[in-house]
Amino acid sequence: MLKLLPFAIATAVASGQLLANEQQNNSRFALAGYGDVKYEDSKLMDTSAFSARFVPIFLFSLSDKMHIEAETEISVDENGETEIELEYADIHYFLSDTTTFTAGKFLLPFGQYGPNQHPSWINRSAFSPGIYGGLGGHGGYQPMQGLLPVMSDIGVGIQHIIPLGKNQKIFFDVYMTNGLAAEAPHDDEEDAHDDEPVLDEHEEEVVDEHAEEEEEHEEVDAHAWELPELAFEATSADNNSNKAFGGRIAYAFLPGIEVGASYYTAKYDEKLGFTATGFDINWIGNHYIVRGEFIKTETDSFEEDEHEENKVITFDRNGWYLQATFMAGKMFNVLQGTDFVVEYAETNKINEAERWAYGINYWLDSRAVIKATYEDTTVQDGEDDKRFAIQYSYGF
Amino acid sequence: MKSIIQILLVISLSLLSAFSIYAEEKISGAEVINNNCARCHNARAVHEFSIPEWKVIMPHMREKAHLTGKETQAVLEFLELTSQSVPLAQKIAPEKIIAPDGKQLFTQFGCQGCHSLKGDGGTVGPALDETIKNKGIGFFIKKLQNPQFNNSSSPMPKMPLNEQQIKAIAEYIKS
Repeated sequence: MLKLLPFAIATAVASGQLLANEQQNNSRFALAGYGDVKYEDSKLMDTSAFSARFVPIFLFSLSDKMHIEAETEISVDENGETEIELEYADIHYFLSDTTTFTAGKFLLPFGQYGPNQHPSWINRSAFSPGIYGGLGGHGGYQPMQGLLPVMSDIGVGIQHIIPLGKNQKIFFDVYMTNGLAAEAPHDDEEDAHDDEPVLDEHEEEVVDEHAEEEEEHEEVDAHAWELPELAFEATSADNNSNKAFGGRIAYAFLPGIEVGASYYTAKYDEKLGFTATGFDINWIGNHYIVRGEFIKTETDSFEEDEHEENKVITFDRNGWYLQATFMAGKMFNVLQGTDFVVEYAETNKINEAERWAYGINYWLDSRAVIKATYEDTTVQDGEDDKRFAIQYSYGF
Repeated sequence: MKSIIQILLVISLSLLSAFSIYAEEKISGAEVINNNCARCHNARAVHEFSIPEWKVIMPHMREKAHLTGKETQAVLEFLELTSQSVPLAQKIAPEKIIAPDGKQLFTQFGCQGCHSLKGDGGTVGPALDETIKNKGIGFFIKKLQNPQFNNSSSPMPKMPLNEQQIKAIAEYIKS
């Protein structure tokens, strides 16, 4: 028996070394993410303040087929309370070389800003684009009322890729999630809404002035109707038996251009629905990037007619933005690491507004940037705003 | 109706044909980085993460950037290649790396994935045609030995190449 002892020890040591080597070459866990510090001065809000966020992404590889990811956003609100928000927490199962199944809470593939471009070290402006402005915890309050938040919800999704040679691809993303709900009414907010909309995170107050009655095709005067508020915040419950469905189809001619079309539909009540349609473009050249999206939303609402009978009316909104970045550093050595950014956004048919934004960015390295952005918002039926921000963003 | 079906059939066969040719091709990891990562963000420096960490990060990026499994693997192989020290890289592929064949090295390290030469190649980095003529061989050697020496925001990885090999690549670019 004793003769076997040295052999057993040698085997154990060798096994231990092999395991250690294996662990050294293959990790199960990685930490990535981003964060930012921002100084913002707003004329409308009559405030100037610093704010900070830390957004870690936790990544786990369970196997070659299974991958887990979770992102949390940690920030401090204006009352000094620490806010922790779960942006996404999902598992990917790679069904094949080109098909991936996802389950959990994930960023919905609607357009390109929401799923991919909103992290502050990726967004070339210190502000969210106007049509996403003030919604979803990624922009703070802004006078330009956004059409959608950055949407994240709980459900399942499938992604499929068709490579067409090495420079072209078609992407398909489809998903089914719990969907949205009507925002519970708040007495104090109702008063405030009479004059000017107050936006909360993950909600959209839908106040359209241009709408048509579903059956009678009669134009709706928005000011005469009670208007629904929608809560986009993901929950582990559903207020009705209907699920939200959506998807995106995109064509990419790599590396220069990606164009996509997105669709999202959900019932927020048994009979009332919300639909969003979007088109997006991302155009990348040697010295420039052009990003843009058009979004159209349709929101149903019950209203009483002159006979005091409920009927469904639909409110339409639309808006778009275009952001152009000139990477001057790639053209002129003396401007190494410098970008110039200009962005235009407008919302139509309700709370009409337009916004110009101008920015200059300086990249300290490939993942850390200081952005200075000035924006000028003109609101048709409300107070205009001018604001300025300096943001130090980093990816890690 | 018949003609529509025929058109759809032709399109489907074309797509399948294009896909099957691509599936058999050797995919360049550098080219995948150039074509996909820069769609959203600056290319990240290889040394930011260890290779075991990249192996966990890449499945996340596979889903985000709509990469295929083969493309993801090609990127990982490129990251592994560029993260090696010079002696280790020579040990891994001695025949290919030791030989000071500029063209071979240029291809092996995927330079054209990010840089164009004679109008062909990526756009993450500058075109290489006039680099040596305009900035000199000294700049070229220094850039490959320390890619961030003149630009701290450059995402270019430090390649495991010795001076002799860098000069061989320079000769190829000039030719």
